[in-house]
Amino acid sequence: VAKTSLTSPPWPEVKLPDPVEEAKYHAEVVRKVNGLISAGHYGRLFAVVHFASKQWKITSEDLIMMDNVLEAECGDRIRMEKVLLVGADDFTLVGRPLLGKELVRVEATVIEKTESWPKVNVRFWRRHNLQRKKIIANPQTVLRINTIEIYPCLS
Amino acid sequence: RYVRQLQRLQLLFSPTASDARGARQFVEEVAQDFARQHPDVVLYVSPHSGPGPAPVLRAEYLNGTVREEVIASKTSEEIMQLAIKLANQSGLDIIRIRKPFHTDNPSVQGQWHPLTNKPSILTVQGPRLQPQ
Repeated sequence: VAKTSLTSPPWPEVKLPDPVEEAKYHAEVVRKVNGLISAGHYGRLFAVVHFASKQWKITSEDLIMMDNVLEAECGDRIRMEKVLLVGADDFTLVGRPLLGKELVRVEATVIEKTESWPKVNVRFWRRHNLQRKKIIANPQTVLRINTIEIYPCLS
Repeated sequence: RYVRQLQRLQLLFSPTASDARGARQFVEEVAQDFARQHPDVVLYVSPHSGPGPAPVLRAEYLNGTVREEVIASKTSEEIMQLAIKLANQSGLDIIRIRKPFHTDNPSVQGQWHPLTNKPSILTVQGPRLQPQ
């Protein structure tokens, strides 16, 4: 049959590798990464955490502020679940969509619970004699991420 | 390792003023519970007699900022809530903060610049560049 411009799709054809070879390659990569983690050959770890309906990229010793009230008192240690991604200098562990709890451990402390700066909420409708003024101060919590740890239990 | 940022709480009121009733009730009933719940906060009560200035709850923090809250005509529960709120705060100014996060090490794997993940220029084969 003659080859026209529509016989093959316009994107370059990708040949997938052998499933057996791919499984062997995967197992070797997993073993190497496990070895690295258990030997402790990583420097700083960063993680992407889903918290308070937002996703944050956090490292150790950094500050995060939420616009809500947590039920923990000041000085409480909090463990964050819902970790999406963990990375170091040489490797990253990507979760689909979350990583296991026995893999990663993210700990944070509640530092302070203040209010935000007083925001002014004004409603004004001209020629209708409508003027309302309200001052809003949201409660906020400040967390400091203490540690991010990973354990070598990949599979 | 958590250090409360509140240094001391000073309660200045006059026992004879009529609008310091809530402060007096707070001192009589609730102040002991508050002090027991927050053992690392020092609470000073200093009554000044006579019709003096309005009753005030003054909070001093470890970085030197002093915050005064007027407690005239407030019930003792409200004063307790105020005291708890001040105790949980730190002494930073309450202004608009631009970013809700702060890191000292923002990039772990190296910051992205437009030349990461691009093949090196030495292996480019174009009409002009020929690898010799």
